[in-house]
Amino acid sequence: MDNLDDLKKIWHSADTHSLPGTVQMMQAIRKYRSSKLMKKTALVAAAILLTGVSIAVVFIYKSVMLSTRIGEACMIIAGFMLVFTNIKSLGRLYRVKDFTNKEFIDYLEQVQRNRIYYHNKTQVAGLSLVSIGLLLYIYEAVHNNLYLCIAAYAFTAAYLLVIWLVIRPRAYKRQAKKLDGEIKRMLLISKQF
Amino acid sequence: MDFEAIYLQYSPQVFRVCMGYINDYEHARDLTQETFIAVWQNLASFRNESNISTWIFRIATNNCLRALERSKKQPTGELPFHLPAPQEETIEEKLQFLYNCISELEETERIIISLVLEDLPQAEIAGIVGMSHANIRVKIHRIKEKLAIKFKDHGQFR
Repeated sequence: MDNLDDLKKIWHSADTHSLPGTVQMMQAIRKYRSSKLMKKTALVAAAILLTGVSIAVVFIYKSVMLSTRIGEACMIIAGFMLVFTNIKSLGRLYRVKDFTNKEFIDYLEQVQRNRIYYHNKTQVAGLSLVSIGLLLYIYEAVHNNLYLCIAAYAFTAAYLLVIWLVIRPRAYKRQAKKLDGEIKRMLLISKQF
Repeated sequence: MDFEAIYLQYSPQVFRVCMGYINDYEHARDLTQETFIAVWQNLASFRNESNISTWIFRIATNNCLRALERSKKQPTGELPFHLPAPQEETIEEKLQFLYNCISELEETERIIISLVLEDLPQAEIAGIVGMSHANIRVKIHRIKEKLAIKFKDHGQFR
């Protein structure tokens, strides 16, 4: 095409004067940093706090039954899983790898697959551990009183059923639809390379 | 090179590339900002393994590739194959027509032509996109042909 220079002339006529200046840019960076940091750090801190409390309880409340010990162990493991996955995602938020577009699309495809794995495996494992842990943990406290035992287990079972059968499938359905669309788009772009 | 100097030098280029890809002024501004936030966050770890411009354009174009994933905003609709020749267009109208033509290209083609129009060497474009130099050369040739047809139909070129 002989008119590439014409196109370049048109291209460079774009108005870039309204872009933020360096001072405004630095303000935007500071604002972005604090808001993102606060959100993610709060999540990591909450996960660490929750796990810490679970561990502290083990030392404060000396349980006598094996079921309680197993329950505590299950919930602590689930807590560590929560901390680990959140710290991992915190790292991804700040590190920008020097990827070419092709490598980046491959990386995004991998990220989407990891998210599906998280939903199908990690989340199920974590939630299973918490559910089993909770059911085992409360036994020691209520096993002496039949009515209290029935009430506590009925309430806990109802709570866990709502999480397993209502909240999780709903969240998964929403995520799966989004992830499916994203993976299809990534595959379409990766074919262009 | 300090961040402010980098920002002043590259932000107009990054904005034009984002605009070429996304064809939406506000979104392009946001993408430019996101690019420089990432540049600022990672400048200390940049190890000069590639040119700083290659690094910045990689971040910018990768942001663009992910941007459509986040917002479902699609580029403008199909342009009619034969458009009536305009009387006399302003430079802004010509620029919008160029953006519209680019937005009809595939994602990688949009990135490649935007970098070509920014006068980046083909070897550097290959390093940003992740294709071989020969492949980039062929792609550029095809994109130019596609754009030339659209512009000639629109009566832009002599």
